[in-house]
Amino acid sequence: MPAIVLRQVTKRFAGGPPAVRDLDLTIPDASFTTLLGPSGCGKTTTLRMIAGLELPTDGEIDIGERNVFSLAQGRSLAPAKRGLGLVFQSYALWPHLSVRQNIAFGLEVQKVNRAETKRRVEAVAESLQIDAYLERYTSELSGGQQQRVAIARVLVMRPDVLLLDEPLSNLDAKLRMDMRAELKRLHAETGATVIYVTHDQLEALTMSTHIALMRDGVLQQFAPPLELYAQPANRFAADFLGNPRINLLEGVVEAGAIVSHGLRVQVGGDGVLAARPGERLTIGLRAEELRLEREGGSGRAAVRILSVLPTGADWYYRVGLGDAVLTVRDDRHPDLREGEQVWLVAAPNPLKVFDEAGRSRTALSGRDAPAAAAQAPGPAPIERRESEREEARA
Amino acid sequence: MITAVRRFRLQLTPQRLFAALFLLVLGYLVVVPLGVMLQETFTVHPLERFQIPGAMTGDFTTAHWERTFVGPHSYAFFYRPLINTLIIALSLSLLALVIGGGLAWLVVRTNLPFKGLISNAAIIPYVMPSWTLALAWLTLFKNQRIGGQPGIFQAVTGIATPDWFAYGLFPITITLALHYFPFGFMLIGGAIRNIDAQLEESAELLGASRATILRRVVFPLVLPAIFSTFLLTFSKGLGTFGTPAFLGGPVREFVLSTSLYANLIGQRPGIGYIAAVVMIAMGVLVLYMDHRIIGARRSFVTISGKGARAGLVDLGRWRTPLAVLVLGFLFSVIAVPIGALAVDTVMLRPGIYNLQNFSLHYWIGEASLAIGLGTGEPGILRNSQLMGALGNTMRLAVVVALVCGVLGMLIGYTVVRLRGTLVSRLLDQLSFLPYLMPSIALGSIFLALFAIARGPIPSLYGTFWLLVIACTVSYLPYAVKAGVNAMMQIGPELEEAAIMSGASWFTRMRRVLFPLQKATYFSGMLLPFISVTRELSLLILLVTPANQLATTITLRYTDRGWYPYTNGMVLMLVIIVITSTIVSRRLMKTDLAKGLGG
Repeated sequence: MPAIVLRQVTKRFAGGPPAVRDLDLTIPDASFTTLLGPSGCGKTTTLRMIAGLELPTDGEIDIGERNVFSLAQGRSLAPAKRGLGLVFQSYALWPHLSVRQNIAFGLEVQKVNRAETKRRVEAVAESLQIDAYLERYTSELSGGQQQRVAIARVLVMRPDVLLLDEPLSNLDAKLRMDMRAELKRLHAETGATVIYVTHDQLEALTMSTHIALMRDGVLQQFAPPLELYAQPANRFAADFLGNPRINLLEGVVEAGAIVSHGLRVQVGGDGVLAARPGERLTIGLRAEELRLEREGGSGRAAVRILSVLPTGADWYYRVGLGDAVLTVRDDRHPDLREGEQVWLVAAPNPLKVFDEAGRSRTALSGRDAPAAAAQAPGPAPIERRESEREEARA
Repeated sequence: MITAVRRFRLQLTPQRLFAALFLLVLGYLVVVPLGVMLQETFTVHPLERFQIPGAMTGDFTTAHWERTFVGPHSYAFFYRPLINTLIIALSLSLLALVIGGGLAWLVVRTNLPFKGLISNAAIIPYVMPSWTLALAWLTLFKNQRIGGQPGIFQAVTGIATPDWFAYGLFPITITLALHYFPFGFMLIGGAIRNIDAQLEESAELLGASRATILRRVVFPLVLPAIFSTFLLTFSKGLGTFGTPAFLGGPVREFVLSTSLYANLIGQRPGIGYIAAVVMIAMGVLVLYMDHRIIGARRSFVTISGKGARAGLVDLGRWRTPLAVLVLGFLFSVIAVPIGALAVDTVMLRPGIYNLQNFSLHYWIGEASLAIGLGTGEPGILRNSQLMGALGNTMRLAVVVALVCGVLGMLIGYTVVRLRGTLVSRLLDQLSFLPYLMPSIALGSIFLALFAIARGPIPSLYGTFWLLVIACTVSYLPYAVKAGVNAMMQIGPELEEAAIMSGASWFTRMRRVLFPLQKATYFSGMLLPFISVTRELSLLILLVTPANQLATTITLRYTDRGWYPYTNGMVLMLVIIVITSTIVSRRLMKTDLAKGLGG
């Protein structure tokens, strides 16, 4: 299945900043690539440009060996000729047609003969377990069933590339978990290249082989999910991924360590960092990279426990360090109470350090990532907090 | 430069092509006519060169404007008709408002019985040609002033009706108000229905009385709909032609529309065109007031409704008398006029109402100079002239409904798909423009525009297609409104999903967009169909003896005093219109209120 290459793709809508700016992206063959970012970051626009529903203002797009859009050559292949299928966020099922007619529509338009159409519709319906509802109208189906019909309508065309625009956002949390597994299975079975748009970082982390993180129309980082999690290219990427949010702590470089309110994080010997003594840097510490000790010691900082947040599986603590509030995951002290004073130890793995512009000093990939100082460590996008809440309920 | 050309080529989507096409066509059919009409007011016409010393046909002149506004006859030409028009429009609007609003309140907010029947019947007066009531009025109340036999009233009671009652401003106002009150019924009824019951309940909890709630809560909330109704009927009153022609003619009482017509077909076309300009200016003024008073609300008020709601006012012992009153009123504005017209067609000698006089002569009789009126015309059903005119009307109605339906759908599609762009706004407003032009003025414009060949466009005067174009432009606001509404209901992704499947634009229209909003599109076609069937003022200037329509030929029979023929024709039109409304409501689930909107 084909790789998809975007070269210098820009999209400008009338009277606004560019929705997508100079996007260079190679989506690997047979990958499950997620376009991730807060709303308005240009991820859906990018998807629609690949689909051919939106005309880029500039740039080129290749799907496999074929160039499907090139401004310089004045070429824009019709959406249906690009060999891809798109599942819409709202599903876009035609309410005046039955499930069978919805799924068969594309085959009829392509003048596939009747017997073949029937066979293919029924096969795809069976594989998605909606064969019992073929004669119903879509309004008679539940959200999850409608979702399957939307996917079936696309899969019946046997696309090389499957585009999914926030397909799970209209489902409840439990159904969402099931559909994630289902989509992963579909990806494995069809071998299609999947491009998946979401603002939900957990969805992106659990399903993708690659994530393209976007913000304000600019690509922030393109990497496999765990690399993106472990080595965010800038402060925005660090902040956007992970639940609970990463702790971002400002400190000063002192003799091979970054020190903040008495907490020392060793950085010495790491050639990538190239820190100068006295430089102010931000260090990113995920909750699982922090732990609490009852005894003080070298590099440990005294903190007060502000709240204890057990989730059942894990114990989270909110602790105050100077004027900063950090989230710590530590399962070894179920008896700790609010108000107690304990000692905080940081053991980042790997080290995540950002300069004043917000660029990572430590990430291996995405060294040329855009600066992100303006945002971090601002409040998380609202949508993401909502998704966090839903996860908590699930 | 080359990139710009390539980008342009890439962006040639169907909606952009349509936008360009429609802007061009509407520009020619809507904007150019306005210019042509203004130009005509400064031009010497063939008959006018004798009235203006030393002028040649086609010369530039300001004489028309001078004669209209400051000449010795300007009172008769202009000011008197203007004052009459304003009096009629104002009083008919108030009357229609009171009747329609009162009826709406009774039906929506009280426990009046027979609501279903009443709300269905209350729309019928609007569906009938506006001058049906005028003809019925004449049939019932005419006196001997215009010659021939007196009306039914005098024949039965022996009392001669006074002129002011039989003809002129009084009956014009009454019959028009009875035609337009359904506007108030639908618009105000919709507004009352949309009031959240909690607003009234909160007032009630605070201890307000029924009357206080009505005055302080309901009335202010309905006020925009009341203004809307008022301005709508007012602007209709400004432009209406048939009723003042039938009822004002016998006493030579003119309004702007009838004076425009008389001047235009008479010897003073220049003055006629000035009357048209004045009427359009007043239309614009009304719309401006509408915007100022109602603010962001368009005069198109969407009519939406939920079912019955709690908290109906109990009419108590007034319930039955009120029901009788309302039903009696509707009966007398629907059944009585139709009945009067029907009776008149089967009375051999006019003015004598008894069984011996019964005859089907005017329906199926042979041509004769001796029987009855001695017109020398065969009965309506075997009269090739009348039946031909009726056939023309039906043909025109069907063609215009189809053209309007398709245009409304395509323009609606273009406007919605390009929403937020200048082109979309321009197209929306251009297609709304004919709404402001009184139809008699619009007719005169098309006469001016197509009387001679202009550039590549041939003279269409005297052809069927000129009638089609005039009607299409005139009803375009309604058709486009329906088309835009329909498209707004359909999310763009429903079309995009079809694009992704490889469906061509035509397939998308045929298999997705049209089926999804069938009822709205059919409603958008029903209104032009009905309107053409009863259209008189728009077409009166454009028809020629070769392409007479049922309505225009009716006027000629009236001029000769051959009322049984006129009434028979009107009766058939009424039956056609009411039947098609009911049938399409059953078959296509059309809703006239949807297409009407104003």
